[in-house]
Parts: sequence; structure tokens; C-alpha cells
Amino acid sequence: MSEQEPQAGADKTPAERPARHGPPVAEAPQVLDARGQASAKLLAQAAGAHALASGGGHDTPWVRVASEHLVDVAKRLRDGAFGAQMLHLIAAVDYEERIEVNYLFLSATKGHTGQVKVDVSPDAPELPSLTGLWTAAGWFERETHDLFGVVFEGNPDLSPLLLYEGFEGHPGLRSYPFNDYQEW
Amino acid sequence: MTTGQHTDTLDMMLNMGPQHPATHGVFRMVLALDGEEVVDVIPHIGYLHRGSEKLCEGESYGQVITLFDRMDYVSNINNELAFVRAAERLMDIEVPERASYVRVILAELNRIASHLLFLGTYAIDLGAITPIMYAFRDRERIQALFEATTGARMMHNYLRIGGLKEDTPADFDVRVSELLDQLRAGVDEIDRLLSLNEVFLARTKGVGIIAGPTALACGLSGPSLRGSGVAYDVRKDHPYEVYPYLAFNVPVGSTGDCWDRYYCRLLECRESISMVAQCLEQMEAGPIRAAGRRIARPPRGEVYVHSENPRGDIGVFLVSDGTDKPYRVKVRPPSFCNLVGLKLMMEGAYVGDAVSILGSLDIVLGEVDR
Amino acid sequence: MSSRPAQLVLLAGIAVGVAAVFGGFIAVTRWLGEPQELGALTLVQFAVALLALVTLLAVAGMSLVWLERKELGRMQGRPGPTRVGPFGLLQPVADAGKLLFKEDVAPGEASKLIFFASPLLIMVPGLMVWLTVPLGPTLVVRSLDLGIFFFVSISVLSIVGLVLAGWSSHSKYAVLGGIRAAAQMVSYEIPLIMAVLGVVVLAGSMRFDDVVALQDSAPYIALLPAAFAVFLVAGLAEVGRTPFDIYFAESELVGGPFVEYSGAHWAVMLLAEYLNTFLVGALAALLFLGGWRWPFGDLPFGAAVALMLAKTYLVVAVIFWGRATYPRLRLDQLMGLGWKVLLPLSFASILATAVQRFYGWPAWTLTLLSLALLAVPIALQVRGQGRPASAYAERMRAGAVAVPAAPRPERSAFEQPPEGGEDGA
Repeated sequence: MSEQEPQAGADKTPAERPARHGPPVAEAPQVLDARGQASAKLLAQAAGAHALASGGGHDTPWVRVASEHLVDVAKRLRDGAFGAQMLHLIAAVDYEERIEVNYLFLSATKGHTGQVKVDVSPDAPELPSLTGLWTAAGWFERETHDLFGVVFEGNPDLSPLLLYEGFEGHPGLRSYPFNDYQEW
Repeated sequence: MTTGQHTDTLDMMLNMGPQHPATHGVFRMVLALDGEEVVDVIPHIGYLHRGSEKLCEGESYGQVITLFDRMDYVSNINNELAFVRAAERLMDIEVPERASYVRVILAELNRIASHLLFLGTYAIDLGAITPIMYAFRDRERIQALFEATTGARMMHNYLRIGGLKEDTPADFDVRVSELLDQLRAGVDEIDRLLSLNEVFLARTKGVGIIAGPTALACGLSGPSLRGSGVAYDVRKDHPYEVYPYLAFNVPVGSTGDCWDRYYCRLLECRESISMVAQCLEQMEAGPIRAAGRRIARPPRGEVYVHSENPRGDIGVFLVSDGTDKPYRVKVRPPSFCNLVGLKLMMEGAYVGDAVSILGSLDIVLGEVDR
Repeated sequence: MSSRPAQLVLLAGIAVGVAAVFGGFIAVTRWLGEPQELGALTLVQFAVALLALVTLLAVAGMSLVWLERKELGRMQGRPGPTRVGPFGLLQPVADAGKLLFKEDVAPGEASKLIFFASPLLIMVPGLMVWLTVPLGPTLVVRSLDLGIFFFVSISVLSIVGLVLAGWSSHSKYAVLGGIRAAAQMVSYEIPLIMAVLGVVVLAGSMRFDDVVALQDSAPYIALLPAAFAVFLVAGLAEVGRTPFDIYFAESELVGGPFVEYSGAHWAVMLLAEYLNTFLVGALAALLFLGGWRWPFGDLPFGAAVALMLAKTYLVVAVIFWGRATYPRLRLDQLMGLGWKVLLPLSFASILATAVQRFYGWPAWTLTLLSLALLAVPIALQVRGQGRPASAYAERMRAGAVAVPAAPRPERSAFEQPPEGGEDGA
């Protein structure tokens, strides 16, 4: 079993590799439709003064908050007019100098979708946990910790979920080598 | 029971390990038993983790479609649909009408195939060895149709950003109509054999109950949520493709037990059959792919799109940096979220119920682990 | 193996072989003398009788294996074994041969002596019972005065073997399975015995030949339908057949007490299970269906044996039919059925029989009483559910949320995609 010759640029992380076809194109226009605008109003209401920025397209408005206000805003989203009964997703995106954690909330009865963005620094990635508000947060946060290294204070169990015990590193980060592998 | 001293008892840990006929894949469930009663359940996942989300960052958009095929390997078209819709929304592409109809036909046939798999395997988990044969006979018919249309029985790689890979074969409409008649008969046969069987009712009625609000807080979706009485279906609440032009019913349970979840899926089979029939009537000839560049390079930005998988609500969070490869793809797998409710459903259950409850959630490990 | 003449030769060979085994058994019983007047057997007589009986039972067990696989296959929409011999008739031989050639392993920590002795403890009582269960008018090794008592007392012994098999395997699954098996079998012994006792009260004798002879006017299934129902259900539970096979259910305990066995020992235990099924069938035919006499009375020997075997295989086919149809009951539901339903029912059945005998009422009163007793648990079950099961399904169908179709918009004009477009990579 001889190893294949690595392709040119194969050992670089995706961010370092040049795009294969042409330069990057412009920003996508973000226009909220009618439902999205209704959701955006309620989302702004729930975020209140804590909203640092806002935006969104189609039916998913977003608002950016600081990590210390996250639980507050989430609680207002759940108990207030937005009525977020479901925490739909926790998605972490590694932007090199910051890790952006996106929370997606959904109201099953009223049909609102809302997104909350929180930035954490990659050196000290800590966030408060939302397990007190939604049980679903438990496994989402556990997976984000596993793959990105974000520590959620208050989560009762942050042991590895998808990776095995003893795995080194956080493979979700862009800095994790793409073609490397570990043997167990 | 003893006089005088207090005896310490240990709960027995029973490992329903990754290799077990009833865990529907490589899933490990450690049960803490007090005699026959389950005191605690600790699920262990990750045996099928392939790093799909990270792999997406190194592949072009057309290649990512194949990765989505393999996540929930039983409902391939529905997964592909979730991803191509995300890319199309980001690029603001409108899909031609015929392509949309064909997508919905294939997605609903895929839903029927997935539910047939559930009906068969759930029955055999509980000891009924006949429905699985009937279910797989009908599933083979669906897969034969898929093979004629998309080229593969399971990993289709048929949907493209902007439409379909190629148009359907000439006898597609006729084949689908014949198939629908056979499927109606097949689903009725399984219904007659299983649904109101005394022993089946004894094993599933009142077992694994979860209330609606609790289920929502756990993140359940799909038939697992609708069994608890919450009428949330993405095709109804956030309609997409041509679903607004189809009339259908969304079955909703009342108790939240295993039987309700099972019967929701059986009724959904019938609804899907009627939806495919409506699509065949409304579909017309036309282009099957939107004009545009073949190498997709969406503009910078992010988008979140969710659609109704047979297992629940599959969401795709797509971040693009303007190049021909995605920057980040995060999937919200419905089975992953449904598993969170497992512990709550198992409260007060017996060992024999553990298999029944896990089966009624209808998980696919490919999508739990990605 | 597909040429027609070869198939016919093989079929003829199988027929000759089975006939030889059967004929050998008949010859041996003739040689031993009248089974009713037999004294103690000499060593030679004993050895020959044992050989003939075991061979016959092995063939019977294999015929049951074939019947089950064919019947289940056809019910599931597939043909069952077709390749090994004509109509798959040699499939059981192939299965037995495969098992005998397999490696016989024991878990490292298992207590070897008990581990290897347990299959014998399961098999031997099952074989011993056949010394006295007749398959025809004089087709039995020894016809005991206390035949039914003998069957009841000896068949219980195999439970010990099951528990020891589970315990000695040194595996949690096996221990759980063994304990469950013991609990299940012990709970269903009593209703089984009580059902059989009802027949004994009616017949006034514990000898199988007498019981068969006294059913000329009406088989006991017509007089004691409740007892027949109890016997069949308890018999299913004794043998460990669906819906009572939870203790070795594949999807739960993956083999239960048998999980660590392989090879010849596993073959012995599998054969014991099929022999027990054959026993339940034969007993149902003898005790309730009139054996080799009803409805024809006195028949020539060959026809009588054929009638008896037909009734036995009919009951066995119904047992296999149940396996194809039903899921399995959970252990506590199974125990509840045994203790709360079958036990009171069987006691009430005996009481009814005794009362009818004592007061000398006509036979049809017993039938009515028995049917009334059988209706009681059925009515309680239907009432206990709260509503008929079909109402659940109706409620869910009615409760579905209807989503109406919106009107379709005008078809927008699209430009044709470029011809022969290649996909993105």
C-alpha cells in the first residue's frame, strides 16, 4: 500500500488554498420577506438594547449580541412575543480571529425564525450554556465543544460526543490540518 | 426485605452495544437496570462520524451533494434537496417548475421508502417477522424506479443547484402511476397486519410517552413530534418547492406514545402517495435546470434553510466566502435532535420497552454522527 | 442438482428413508409386545427401542424444521428453501450437518461441566416423554396407566436445564435469559396442567388410549373449548414460541440462555425446541381432537396413524402461523397473562367439568359453560382498553391537519439551459 503523492496545495488548510475558478464574487443581497420582517421586529424587541448589529435575508433575521447578554436575550425570545419553543441549531463558524456561534430559534406555533450571533475569541472560547432553557442545547453544545473547543459554562456534560476519548485537537477549526489523520 | 441491616443494591448496567440487532446502526445505549426497570439510559454516538461537515469545506458545491446523500442514507433525495435549496437561496436562483415537481415526486417517494423501512424494522424489533418482507418488497419497487430515473438505487446524486441532472425517462409517468397503486396495496397490507394487532398494541400503546411542550424543548421534529400532538410540519408551516400547490393532511397524534409515532408515519405514507398523484397531474413539460454557470460560486453570505426529512426537520446552515467551495456547512440532523428525547421517553420503562422506544424514534446513525 | 431425474430419485430416496424409519419404529413396537401389558424391558429391548424412538423423533424434528421454513416463507411472500433437495426437503439435513461440523466453543469463564451438560438436561426429559405418548393405536413403546401424569411430571425437568444453561454461560444476557425462561415456564406449567386435568376428569383415566377412545362421540375440544384455548396458549409459552419467545428474542436478548452455544450443543437445544413443539401438537391431537379415532371410529392401522399425524401437523402448522403473524409480548405482560388470565380460567374450567360430572348434566351444558368462561377474559380485555382499538386509528385519521392547495401561479418563461452542460466537477 504505497501512499499517493499529495496534490499541490493539499496540505494547506482550506483558507490558504487559492480558489480554483476565478476571484471571489460580491456580497449576497440580504432582503427580508414579509415573514422575515415580522420576525425581525420581534427579534429586535427581544434583544432590546443588547443588539450590537442586525441583518438577515429571506425569512431568517439575525441579531448580534455580546456573550454576557446571551442567556437574557434567549430567555426573552422564549418567554416573550417571539415564542421560541425550539432551539433549532447551534452552529459555530471559525473566522480565524474569532469564532462566531450562531443560535437559531424557531417558534413552532407562530412560525418565526430568528438567529442570534455571538462572537468568542479563539484563545478563551467561553459561553454561558442554554441547557436551563432548552434541553436540546445539551447535545448541540457538547458537539460544538467537541469540534471547536468552545466551553459552555453550566452544561452538565461536555464529554466528547462524536469523537472518541483521547482525540487531540478540535477538528472543526480551520487551523486543523485537512488531510491529517490520527490513529487510535 | 431484610431485617436489620440495609443492603446496598447496585444497578445492573446492560450494554446494548454498537453491535446489536435492534439499535438500527452503530449506536451504543448503556441501560442502568433496577431489576426489569430502566433507571437511566446513557447513549453513546459517534461510531459513524466521518467528518462530513469538514469535508464539505474542501469540495465544490456539486461534490457536496454526494456527501449529503450519505448522511441520512435512507432518505437521500430529501437531504440533497435541503442542500441545493440552501445554495439556490444564497445565489437567488429560481428553479424551473418541472424540476420542482420532479424533485417533490422523488422526495415523497423517498419518504415512502424511508417509512416502509421503518415499518418493517420496527415490526421485526418487536417480533413480528412478516411485515418487513412486505415492506422491503415495496421498497424494492421504489428503488427500481429510482434506478431508472437517477441511475442509482440509493445514493442518487441527481439534484443539482438550479434543478436536476437530467430529465426523467420517457415512461416515468406511467411507471409512477403503477407504482402508486402497488404502494397503496402494500401499505394497506402492513396496516391490516400490524396496526390494530393486540400484541402490537400492548407493546406500543402507553409506552415511551413524551408531552408536546417537552418534546419541543428537546428539539424533536417530524413524526416523533407530531405523535405528541404538535402539528408542526415544515411542508405546511414553511412551504417550499411546489408544496403550496398540493393538498394534503398532516397526521397528528394525541398521546405521544410509540403507537402514535408509528401510526403517524403509516398515515404519512398514504399522504405522500396522494401528493405524488397530484404532482403527476399538475406536472408539465419544460426545462429541468435553471440557466447559469455550472460551477457554482455563490456570493459571500450565509443562509439557513430547513425542510421536512422523513425523520424530521433537517436544516442546512451554509456560509459562503464567494469561492467555489463552501466556507462552512452545518447540518441540523433530525435524528440527532430526536435522540435527545430518548432519556425522557424511557422514564419508567422496562427493558423490553427500550427497544420499542428506540425503534419508534426512527433514527439513522449516518445523520446522527455525520 | 437441477436435473429432473436426479430430483425424482432424491425424492424417492427421501420417501423411502422416512418410511424405513417409521416402519422400523412400528416393527420395534410389534417386537416388544403389547404396550399395555408390557412388564420391565430387558436391556436389549431397551436399547433397540431407544434407538428406534430417537431416530423417529429426529426425523420428526427435521420435518418440523422444513415445515416451518416453508410455511413462514410462503406467508412472507417468498418460497422458502428450494435448493437443497427437491422442494428443499433436505434443508434440515444440511442444517444439522452444518451445526455438527461447527466449532464447539465455550466462553473462557464458563463452568465447562455444567455448560456442556445443560443441553442434555434440556433434551433428555423431552425425549423421555415420548416413551408413553402414542402416535397410533398401538404405536407406542409403553402405554402407561399414568401416561398423562408421566408427561406432566417429566417435561418440567427441562426448565432446570434452561436455567443452568444461562447461568453457566457467564454472560449477563444469558443469565437474564435463563431467569426469564424459568419464570415464564414455571408460571405456565400450572394452567397447562389444569387444562390437561380437565380432560382427565372428563375421561376418568390418565391413559392416553382411554382418552382417545372416549372421544368417539365428541372430541373434547367441543366439550371444553376453554381448556383447549388454555392448553394451546400455555403450550406455546412452554415451548417458547412467538408471542412468548421473549427470553431468547433476537432483537432484545440475542439468544437469551442459548447465546453462547454453538455447534453440536446448539443443535441439540434447537432439536429439543422442535420436539417440544411436536409434543404440544401431538398432545393437542390426543387430548382434544380425538386422536386416531374421531370422527371415523375404528380405522385400519395405517389410516389411523395417518389421521393422528395429520391432526398433529395441523396444530403444529397453526403454531407456526402464529409465529408469522404476532409480535412478542413483553415479559411482565406475559406473566400477567399467565397468572391473571390463564390460571383462574383453567381452575374455573376444572370446576365446571367437575360440576357437570357430579350432577350428570348433558354434554352441551359443559360446552356452554366453557364458552361462557372463555368469554369472560375477552370481554374484560375489550372493556379494559377503554375503547375498541379501531377507534385509536379513527381518531388519528380524523385529527389530521388538512393543508389546502394554493392556486398555482402563471408559468414564468425560462431560457433553455445550455446544451450538454457539464456539472460542477
